[in-house]
Amino acid sequence: MTNGALVEAKELYKYFPIYAGLTSRHVADVRAVDGVSFAIEEGETLGLVGESGSGKTTVGRLLLRLLPATKGDVRFENQDVLAMDRGEIRRLRRSMQIIFQDPFASLNPRMTVGEIIGEPLRIHGLASGRDVDERVRELLKLVGLQPYHANRYPHEFSGGQRQRVGVARALAVSPKFIVCDEPVSALDVSIQAQVINLLEDLQARFRLTYLFIAHDLSVVRHISTRVAVMYVGKIVELADRDALYENPLHPYTQALLSAIPIPDPLLEKRRKRIVLTGDIPSPVNPPSGCRFHTRCPVAFARCSVEEPPLREYAPGHFAACHWVEEHGGQAPQLT
Amino acid sequence: MRLLEVSNLRTTFRTEDGIVTAVNGLSFGLDAGETLGIVGESGSGKSVTALSIMRLLARNATVTSERIAFEGENLPDKSEAEMRKIRGYKIAMIFQDPMTSLNPVLTIGEQIAEAVRLHLGAGKSEARDRAIEMLRKVRIPLPERRLGDYPHQFSGGMRQRVMIAIALSCNPALLIADEPTTALDVTIQAQVLELMNDLQRETGAAIVLITHDLGVVAEFCKNVLVMYGGNLVEYGTAEQIFSRPRMPYTQGLLSSLPRLDEREHRRLVPIKGQPPNLLRLPPGCAFAPRCAYRMPICDEPVPLYDFGEGHVARCWLYDERAREQRPESQQSLPTVAHT
Repeated sequence: MTNGALVEAKELYKYFPIYAGLTSRHVADVRAVDGVSFAIEEGETLGLVGESGSGKTTVGRLLLRLLPATKGDVRFENQDVLAMDRGEIRRLRRSMQIIFQDPFASLNPRMTVGEIIGEPLRIHGLASGRDVDERVRELLKLVGLQPYHANRYPHEFSGGQRQRVGVARALAVSPKFIVCDEPVSALDVSIQAQVINLLEDLQARFRLTYLFIAHDLSVVRHISTRVAVMYVGKIVELADRDALYENPLHPYTQALLSAIPIPDPLLEKRRKRIVLTGDIPSPVNPPSGCRFHTRCPVAFARCSVEEPPLREYAPGHFAACHWVEEHGGQAPQLT
Repeated sequence: MRLLEVSNLRTTFRTEDGIVTAVNGLSFGLDAGETLGIVGESGSGKSVTALSIMRLLARNATVTSERIAFEGENLPDKSEAEMRKIRGYKIAMIFQDPMTSLNPVLTIGEQIAEAVRLHLGAGKSEARDRAIEMLRKVRIPLPERRLGDYPHQFSGGMRQRVMIAIALSCNPALLIADEPTTALDVTIQAQVLELMNDLQRETGAAIVLITHDLGVVAEFCKNVLVMYGGNLVEYGTAEQIFSRPRMPYTQGLLSSLPRLDEREHRRLVPIKGQPPNLLRLPPGCAFAPRCAYRMPICDEPVPLYDFGEGHVARCWLYDERAREQRPESQQSLPTVAHT
């Protein structure tokens, strides 16, 4: 795709096998990620959106090799991540970090916040003794907490504060790349804005690169440079933020955007909604051809047979849709 | 007569740490057929308000009120047996998580029929017919066949539609929906909201929609009640609340929200600080510690100010007595009378 990408995924697959019966026979696979390619450039935020079961969280874990990929290629600064041995992967984690959705489950309740943030420093040998405490205090201030918070336990903090601790832990090793996996979904709106602003400030200050995984398309529009939309294990559209939101090509992207209510009753009265019928298909047995054809308002014969490739219809604007291809890159009018 | 009239509702919980005040003197009402959105963040008291009205709270709760009048009758005066005849019949409720609110060992047909037989006195086959009719209404394909299925055989969106089918099976006058779409994906949320809209038009039931999602409120509700620290801080029509919010908390919520139609990158304006500690609610405005316009008078109990056409807000900024205390930026605000 692009040269000089910091992170690159090529034809990435992750199948989780399902075993059944007394002999634990391999009966099927959950095809969580089913051939996904994209690149993330240094300093940008790639938003990755999709509904449950779309595979967005799995993609994040594959990039960091928190999960082994079934096949495919992941590159970080042109190094082959999937081929690395344990020592190399540990060194790599100094450059790649993750912030999790649930600030309650992702912090060890038996460790103080100081120990939690200091742990990566010790593991990677970046500081020892007094220096750890000093660096922890610095990190706490950086994320808007107080140095004395180091002696407290996670349960003493509110959700928003806990998420700040998660951010400080990720920043401890001075990474270049952070996977933010639904970092604000569990937070109340007034607190959500605090954490979003913090992530933006830190990105500007340390030139961080983010993969921002979320189901909230309003938050993703706010924070992303480019956005990829996933549906049942595949990327169906990938474009610059404004191109994707103002001129979505794929019918699924259109439906997804139209489904989000905007907090403005006058605007809501004028808006036409594309209400999709049916449920999101299971990744165990995804539909043939285009995975969206079972719910697509403009599907035609070809869609159930042939899988549409992700093609570039305008500079940097990719979509995987037969309808768009047969109409010379035009988006279908669904409302 | 209004369909529901709640006045001075107070709900507290005895806990190991002390008395938690979840609802703190709340008064509101709604008319037949109306949609009222109750919005607020975690801990603002919106769910506890619903559970207090329905008398579904645990033993450690104490509920007091001047009146909770439903169709003119005071619910706190009812015996438990009388309440059972109202719940699920006159007032139905649906919850956020359809998986935990459906019984996993009963078929969904049995669960819909249960309400119909109990409240409408229907016979077995009549109840079955009603169950099929309701499943068809909530657009579950092949309802005759799905009747014998168990909750785990349905997807999340379908389960919520089954909940709606049960709730509406006895034609309630009031449906309380507590975060009905929060656990659902957006395309499924759109389906469920559209369904609720259609069914409301058909049945004329009033709906109280409890949610933290301001977008859902803007789309769905005629009137909006904003809660903070266990009490109403602002009430009005959706247009009034979203275009002319008066209370700094409502204003703060709206400006801290990223919007789907945001064309220029705008820095979000978060509300500083944390929600109030319900063990120690201040006597004055609960939002004052986080408010950018805090004045000395804010430590005193706040009356409700009337902005006309039903729009009210609980904020000292609009009081004649606070004129001298107002911050520079707020000097041009009108002063209005309180109710």
